[in-house]
Amino acid sequence: MAQVSLAGIGKTYEGAGANTIAGLDLDVQDGEFLVLVGPSGCGKSTTLRMIAGLEEPTAGEIRIGGRRVDGLEPRERGIAMVFQNYALYPHMTVAQNMSFGLRLARLPRAEIRRRVEGAAETLGLSGHLDRHPKALSGGQRQRVAMGRAIVREPEVFLFDEPLSNLDAQLRGQMRAEIRRIHDRLSATTIYVTHDQVEAMTLADRVVVLKDGRIEQQGSPQELYDRPATRFVAGFLGSPQMNFLAATVRNGALDLGGGAVLPLPPGRPLPEGRRLDAGIRPEAFAAAAPEDAAFHATATMVEHLGATSLVHFSHAGQDCAALMEPARAPRAGQPVHLSADPARLSLFDADSGRAV
Amino acid sequence: MARFRKPLLLAAVLALILVCFFAPFLWIVSNSFKPQLGIFSDVTPISWRTFLPLDPVAENYRSLFARTNILHALLNTAIVAAGQVALTLLLCSMAAYALTRIKFRGSQAVFVLILLTFLLPVEALLVPLYQVVSGLGLSNTLTGIMIPWIASPFGLFLLKQAFEELPRDLEDAARIDGAGHLRIFVSVILPNVKVPLLTLGLVTFLFSWNSFLWPLVIAQSPDAQVIQVAIAQQGSPTQLPNWGETFAGATVATLPLILLFLLLQKYFTQGMAMSGIKG
Repeated sequence: MAQVSLAGIGKTYEGAGANTIAGLDLDVQDGEFLVLVGPSGCGKSTTLRMIAGLEEPTAGEIRIGGRRVDGLEPRERGIAMVFQNYALYPHMTVAQNMSFGLRLARLPRAEIRRRVEGAAETLGLSGHLDRHPKALSGGQRQRVAMGRAIVREPEVFLFDEPLSNLDAQLRGQMRAEIRRIHDRLSATTIYVTHDQVEAMTLADRVVVLKDGRIEQQGSPQELYDRPATRFVAGFLGSPQMNFLAATVRNGALDLGGGAVLPLPPGRPLPEGRRLDAGIRPEAFAAAAPEDAAFHATATMVEHLGATSLVHFSHAGQDCAALMEPARAPRAGQPVHLSADPARLSLFDADSGRAV
Repeated sequence: MARFRKPLLLAAVLALILVCFFAPFLWIVSNSFKPQLGIFSDVTPISWRTFLPLDPVAENYRSLFARTNILHALLNTAIVAAGQVALTLLLCSMAAYALTRIKFRGSQAVFVLILLTFLLPVEALLVPLYQVVSGLGLSNTLTGIMIPWIASPFGLFLLKQAFEELPRDLEDAARIDGAGHLRIFVSVILPNVKVPLLTLGLVTFLFSWNSFLWPLVIAQSPDAQVIQVAIAQQGSPTQLPNWGETFAGATVATLPLILLFLLLQKYFTQGMAMSGIKG
């Protein structure tokens, strides 16, 4: 079946000093929805393009369904790809766009028709088969691009930031649609994005890349709750995790500015150790002034509807806390907060790795 | 009043430019309808008579078609122009594809070298070109007239720009769909650069139709004469030129261009704007 495995994959561009990707090992299970996520330049698109066969790795092996494919043409790999800017052929109709690959493969006409009509039905494009891409909306174009991938009946779907060009509302809809199609076709899917919301909502497994290396991989919730590095902690989650410099003193965590929290349960740490403490905005809670660990002045309050994001400064660090709108202060008012030690993430101050 | 002054001034300048370009053409056409003796009697002083034939006669056209091989020359010109357009489009688009879509060492150097040939004036090339083309046994042939110009640096430049504007993802999508270079070139790239192709075709056609110096040098025999050369040489060296026939010939030679221009005006001006180099 269509398991994808990368073994020691490397990519060095001529002229570029450092490796873009160095020794990447990754196994994608059959039917899995894997999301590669990371900041721009982390090598996620390059990795995807190497799986697709649009770029050749300079080291390592790529296997799809057990068969070694590096060196093979894209069409021989059993993959289909959806691009960020849709990459529809502007001079072809929707039906021609979807069937181009099948016509090149000389499939019987009836079979092409069956597949195109089936995909159009799935994607709600049946009424648009004779239109040209320029007559379609952004969402419809992305559907056509997906249709073109579906009709190939690939073993592996590759998505390269497919929703980046869509507006927020449409992005939400298409996200759901992509997941629905994946579940229906149960093909292996590898999806590249820099949007952590897409990563969190779509993935069976998220792989966070940084500088061409895997920073951490796991289920979205696992990565959110137990980030392995400060980078992953800061990258996943919106609004972002707060980071405060902390020192272990008298068996407790001194966060500066008079804030002291007990050490997280079950994690004894040596005295004097310097750490970065990560606190998710939702891990703060409003507290009475005498119970609170943090005392500050709200610098700005963003009302998000269901919650309010209260910005404040603690020991010279900008922080943000999610609060119930009814309990949120106004800008300029004092704010008193406590934080649950069990929900703290602690990272070594030098290496950035979780302790 | 002041707000009318600017458009009026603009209109005056435009009118002046129009007169400068249009008057010679009108003079040619009107003279082609004047009897041989009347042509120069109206030249000075310049009046409306200079530009309008009082008693139009068709004599010049009759003798032009009866006495000279103008029809044959027109046919030659059409063959040369069509061939030059077809081959220029084919060669330049393939070269542009290679230079924009296939990575190879030195591609930039190749492009710059080709563009450098652009800097050489035709006159400087004339003698070596003659030696090469006649050495190939192509003097006095239509092939010899068109062959030096089909690898047009201008055409390559124009198409390379157009190809570069096409998103690279299109080609990636086509590769995933199973297309090779030839299929991508024919089915994905070319259909999306129709306007630049048409523009290059038009400019090439015009250049070919109006060329005089090279055809004069390489194709002297009446069999291979093109229209511009035929008009210039319709009189024998010992005779005074028959000016009426010359003007009639010039009018006939211009008509196809005017028709083409009217049909494809949009692309024509676009080509001028895109090139900014060659008229």
